[in-house]
Amino acid sequence: MEKEVKRKRKSSASNKAFHIFNAIFWIIVMFIILYPLYLVVIASISNPDAIYRGEVIWRPIEFSIRGYKAVFAYKELISSYGNSIFYTVTSVIISIWVTMSAGYALSRPTFPGKKIFNFMFIFTMFFGGGLIPTFLVMRDLGLYNTRAIMILMGCVSVWNVMVARTYIQNSIPHELYEAAVLDGASHFDYFFKCVIPLSKSIIAVLVVYYGVSKWNDYFTGLVYLKGRELLPLQTVLREILATLQLDKSGDYMMSVTENAASLTEAMRTANVAKYCIIVIATGPVVLLYALLQKYFEKGVMIGSLKG
Amino acid sequence: MEKQRKKKLSLIIKDNWQLYVLILPAVIYFIVFNYLPMYGIQIAFRDYKAVSGIQGSPWVGLKHFQNFFDAYYFKRLLSNTLLLNLYSLLCSFPIPLILAILLNQIKNPARKKFIQTSIYVPYFISTVVLAGMLYIFLSPTNGIFNTLRQTLGMKPVDFMSSASAFRPIYIISGIWQSAGWGTILYIASLAGVDTSLYEAAEIDGASILQKIRYIDIPSLLPVAGMVFIMDCGKLLSSNTDKALVLQTPGNIPTSDIIGVYVYNVGLGSGQFSYTAAIGIFINIINFVLILSVNKLSKKVSNVSMF
Repeated sequence: MEKEVKRKRKSSASNKAFHIFNAIFWIIVMFIILYPLYLVVIASISNPDAIYRGEVIWRPIEFSIRGYKAVFAYKELISSYGNSIFYTVTSVIISIWVTMSAGYALSRPTFPGKKIFNFMFIFTMFFGGGLIPTFLVMRDLGLYNTRAIMILMGCVSVWNVMVARTYIQNSIPHELYEAAVLDGASHFDYFFKCVIPLSKSIIAVLVVYYGVSKWNDYFTGLVYLKGRELLPLQTVLREILATLQLDKSGDYMMSVTENAASLTEAMRTANVAKYCIIVIATGPVVLLYALLQKYFEKGVMIGSLKG
Repeated sequence: MEKQRKKKLSLIIKDNWQLYVLILPAVIYFIVFNYLPMYGIQIAFRDYKAVSGIQGSPWVGLKHFQNFFDAYYFKRLLSNTLLLNLYSLLCSFPIPLILAILLNQIKNPARKKFIQTSIYVPYFISTVVLAGMLYIFLSPTNGIFNTLRQTLGMKPVDFMSSASAFRPIYIISGIWQSAGWGTILYIASLAGVDTSLYEAAEIDGASILQKIRYIDIPSLLPVAGMVFIMDCGKLLSSNTDKALVLQTPGNIPTSDIIGVYVYNVGLGSGQFSYTAAIGIFINIINFVLILSVNKLSKKVSNVSMF
């Protein structure tokens, strides 16, 4: 008995130490994750000269929107922003439609040919044509330099089809299907009137998955587009952000210089504008995530369990 | 007999035609965007000329493969790709596990929710923006990292142009971006652990560490094994788009990986057949890798994907 108490006391002390360690651990992790994002936001609304002097560390210094003004003066950035919104919205609508209906068909236990379709889809996860053959085939199909390829490329993911299938299989009671069939419902009726309304949380998750990957994709634009008027935001951003060589972002610098008094000022404004661009480019995605966040946890869990 | 089978087939189609209609768009998608490109693979065995098209170009057998294996940069590309992915896998794989286990120990629901919501956020940041942040923070003139170094009396370093810094930058930024996201699966499996196990352990006076050691870790192993198998299958494919935006003239000795090379030479200089052959080579190795890791783990721990 005494031994028991002693052991318990010992374990509660070690538990306390664990909790303290855990709290410190998470404070550090949170700092590492959130600080870079915070820094970008405060720098975007600070005075470019203060950033240049390295003073912006904990809070915005000398509030200024010069960076944002410079960004909005850059026409190509704004039009690419519009392109990205268009590509993302249309692509997500198609993605959800195709993914949910395929997920539904594959979730029916008595669907003849299910195995073949399953294999056909999953095989593509392990073997593919690769960049160059895909590029040539798309070009032969006349999809090079079109809006269509920007919308369709990657708009169905096998993984997401499987997530949708698992969700429909596990979260929508089979009795509901039997009752619907007794009432004379066809697959179409059941799919549109029962499955879709009951799948809100998984659809929210899919919207985030597909939306984010489409919005964030610069590579498709880089490979498949030639005309600058079709470029999505991320491909344009790459030229501005990911190059320190200013000659590569010539147009961008031009538009900054036009609105600046001197070359140093232009350089510094261009520098702060990079922070503003990050905020503007990332904002919609984080907003989408925040809006759908309440569905998120449940949907991700159910979809991924036994995925 | 034959007639009966035909009748049966038409009956099956009649009963299920709506399901076929529902799955049709996905089937068309995979045919156009995945299976037609596989047909395009044949250019790796031909000398592709734009005028003759895919089918009209002459066969050359394994010439392109041979050229690649004989090229002086073959070894460099292969080792760069393998090392980058291997280090990346070894460093990134355990972190989501640790995060999930420690997050599971936070009992305050509001705090837990806050942490969970925030650790997913970096995942939503695009590759380009991530690279942009790295360029800004690591800038030798006014990046925060070098400002910090200077206040500590060290010399500023141009990390983005340094060959030895490329791998750490790639890996650490990768962990920052996706470690939080990687916890989802593990948190889901921890939530599925039978609570009576913990209760029994508590009655026996088990400490938190013991509960982690004897309940949490064993229940995570199967999922972790699956994730590991999947990751091993990507040892040669890697994030071409990320390496591409992080590549600068200074870090080419380490940042030149197969995917980036295929992009630069294939699309940049139009050597379609040659780079298609390289693509197939990677694809086959990845396929073999995933099959063998799967087999190995089946033997060792009974965890396998198929």
